[in-house]
Amino acid sequence: MEIGVCSNKNGAFIKLDPRSKLLLLITISIIMIGARTVEVEGVLRLICAAIPLVLLLSIREYKASFIYLLLLGSALICEKHIAPYTHGICNIVLMMICGLITRFVAGYMMGWYTVKSTSVSEFITAMERMHCPSFISIPMSVMFRYFPTLSEEYKSINDAKRMRELGHPFSQPLTYIEYILVPLMMSTVRIADELSAASLSKGLSAGEKRTHICEVSIRPLDVFAITGTMVMFVLFLVY
Amino acid sequence: MIEFKNVSYSYNVVDADGNAVDKGGVSNINLNIADGEFVVLTGGSGCGKTTITRMINGLIPHYYKGTMSGTVKIDGKDISERPIYETAKNVGSVFQNPRSQFFNVNTTDEIAFASENQRREPVDIKMSISETASSMAIERLLNRNIFELSGGEKQIVACAGINVLSPDVIVLDEPSSNLDFYAIERLKEILQNWKAQGKTVIVAEHRLFFLRELADKLLIMQNGEIVQELDKEKISTISSAETEKLGIRPLRLDDLKAEFQHREQSDITITLENFCFTYSDGEHGIDIPELEVPSKSVIAVIGHNGAGKSTLARNICGLEKRFKGVMRYGKKTLKNKDRLHNCYMIMQDVNHQLFTESVKDEAVLSITDKSLSEEEKEKKALDILSQLDLNEYADIHPMALSGGQKQRTAIASGLASEKEVMIFDEPTSGLDLSHMKQVSDELIKLRKLGKTVFVVTHDLELILSCCDRVVRLEKGTVMENYDICENNISKLKAFFGKEAM
Amino acid sequence: MEKKFEIKDLITVGVFSALYSIVMFAVACLGFIPILMVFMPLLCPLVAAIPLMLYFSKIKHFGMITITGTLIGILMFIIGHPYPILIFCIGAGLLTEVVLKMGNYQSIKHCVAASAVFSLWFLGMVIAFFFSFRDAYFASILDGYGQEYVDAMKSYTPTWVFFAMIIMCLVGGTVGGLLGAKVLKKHFRKAGMA
Repeated sequence: MEIGVCSNKNGAFIKLDPRSKLLLLITISIIMIGARTVEVEGVLRLICAAIPLVLLLSIREYKASFIYLLLLGSALICEKHIAPYTHGICNIVLMMICGLITRFVAGYMMGWYTVKSTSVSEFITAMERMHCPSFISIPMSVMFRYFPTLSEEYKSINDAKRMRELGHPFSQPLTYIEYILVPLMMSTVRIADELSAASLSKGLSAGEKRTHICEVSIRPLDVFAITGTMVMFVLFLVY
Repeated sequence: MIEFKNVSYSYNVVDADGNAVDKGGVSNINLNIADGEFVVLTGGSGCGKTTITRMINGLIPHYYKGTMSGTVKIDGKDISERPIYETAKNVGSVFQNPRSQFFNVNTTDEIAFASENQRREPVDIKMSISETASSMAIERLLNRNIFELSGGEKQIVACAGINVLSPDVIVLDEPSSNLDFYAIERLKEILQNWKAQGKTVIVAEHRLFFLRELADKLLIMQNGEIVQELDKEKISTISSAETEKLGIRPLRLDDLKAEFQHREQSDITITLENFCFTYSDGEHGIDIPELEVPSKSVIAVIGHNGAGKSTLARNICGLEKRFKGVMRYGKKTLKNKDRLHNCYMIMQDVNHQLFTESVKDEAVLSITDKSLSEEEKEKKALDILSQLDLNEYADIHPMALSGGQKQRTAIASGLASEKEVMIFDEPTSGLDLSHMKQVSDELIKLRKLGKTVFVVTHDLELILSCCDRVVRLEKGTVMENYDICENNISKLKAFFGKEAM
Repeated sequence: MEKKFEIKDLITVGVFSALYSIVMFAVACLGFIPILMVFMPLLCPLVAAIPLMLYFSKIKHFGMITITGTLIGILMFIIGHPYPILIFCIGAGLLTEVVLKMGNYQSIKHCVAASAVFSLWFLGMVIAFFFSFRDAYFASILDGYGQEYVDAMKSYTPTWVFFAMIIMCLVGGTVGGLLGAKVLKKHFRKAGMA
């Protein structure tokens, strides 16, 4: 799990502030779940479905865009042209699956875009600009930093486990879980200790404000995105 | 100016039964370190040298809980009365474990981190970063994922962060323990630079050879006290025989001797065939069509970072699933799966390979012989433990042991599984002289038990004290493969750089 | 409030939130096996409660578990889960805080109860299939399919399933909490690490 390490996404032709991305995320998830498929709301849905596609293309995530299009397209076709010809349980299952896809995939794709296009430090800087207190932002950075560490730890634990030919996931699930979780938990305790010591000695403190070399700023494109979502929101509420 | 006046300290820890006990620390330290002085602290594990570094950067008494008496002052200010982020302005720290000393994932963020905490202007910090990057020639390390860097590169990033902050005092706690000789050479340059800039540098270390030309003062500690002080002149002339008497690692490598008494060769050979493997990044990997080594001997695998040592070790163990190479051991041909049965690796971080709740269970768990009853297994486990001087810890949780004892527990479980080939990944990183010797004795013992031992190592002292054969890798291929004997010593030493010649 | 947290606390929150959510994800991956999918609200909290119990043993301050709830909420939200997840995560965090507080952050019994309560955030992931969210969905298909069809659909996804999930979460959290307590005793006390 590697969440945007480097901020220089070369060649991205749309650069959004993390704050705009968050706003887009929330708008998309509200409208896609709540809106109906006809009239103004139908148009809103269409826009919300298109936004993640455009954004994904802008950071050259062609594979993700393709999968998104494929999922959405097949779900729509299925909903309109295949499901009506089926009956009973089959029909229900098809409708459920299509319903889930058309309503949630846009949100997940927007999430994928956010994760792929934002570096941890951009995200934290943006959070602090939104007056997010340090008791949220510090654990947040630690959490993102600890994901890759966890995956390294897991790999070595798994290697060790294989070398000793221990624990089969199906015949002894509890032992299997114990042999993975306990060493991971031990590492976590130890790393929390060492990381705290290192951070303190580098002058991190819970009460004091810090500066950021990372730049986030609201640009014209963000203003556009923000007003756009506002308008969509108002329209959604009015209709 | 750093002043220690009658300083004593003991850590408050909770033991296995839940009782609070005092442990380790230092007693009665009186020490003055002048501005611009370069001081090296050394001594066996638990001698108190790390405690001293923690008192300088303020982690004691602000982070570690314990009982302290006496005062530590930097430039006349009492450390215990200053908040730790104030101290952090003047004192930079580099730690031993690159895995846990970074707060950020991105290298540039990490280099800026300490300065950001001091609320310096972002523009200002960025300027310092680019200056540091060009003066240390590390432009290619900027804006990278820290998890992609080698141990040496990580340590350089840590040093770059200190350069950007530019404190007057720098403490380093065993900075070289995960580094190869190239990286140590780099570290030495950086230290040299700091010294030239007039910074006060305090290094707590076991490996001393790279500090010989830098140190103004060498303090040897034992049981929390400073027992001996060497001055600059003594440091530059002391021989390896003398340092060994003092119980510390040598300050020079050129006069090290190999011990040749245990070299009867086995006539069965181990052949690695078609050991070719590339990681998915396409860059790293190994390409070894054939490698022949004697069995029942200790084989050192050397090479610089990225030469493919750990890839070789992993493949000998059969850990890479899509690997096609085979090992021929005498008449047997071992494929991936068979090697998992027959090889056992003691990892650099042994914490990852201990799973059970007591040392005895750890050995019992590895006994795969189904014909044995529970009692027989237990007896066999206890036998193995006594071979490794572990019987008194049989019922203790492995995680409550010291590093060396954990390592021996892992060896015990390897012996219990009756595997023929044992691989050690950097078994002596961060070990003092006596523990290094202990490891070397263990390797010799394993050889006498008829095991074939591969040791991936950067430690010349270890190689000279127990290995029979050297395999040198470079860029994934075998460059050299020779027995250690009088004629080959210079070849071996040449690899370890001009320090060793 | 800010002054009360030490760096050590905040870093503990960070690493354990990471461990907790990774374990959660790992178990959730089993959900691709269709039969197990139904039991996810039981299995996920069950396994994730083991590291959670270790985390509880490290908590000495008011607020840490609420932060964890918030962090998990934000994480789930930015990877694209619908917004109710935020409310559920923060809510579960606060409730857990209360339970832990009642046990003075020490009692094992309260920790087990707390682990059951905390697992309720999981419902935030499925809430979108129920209640008013479901009605909105049906309203949206009403335009194309007619009332009869919608009624048939509704009968297949009854609201009681949601309550069954609440019970699964609580049971999973409790059993996991008990397992976690056992692991703590077996390993961490003995190793002097808890």
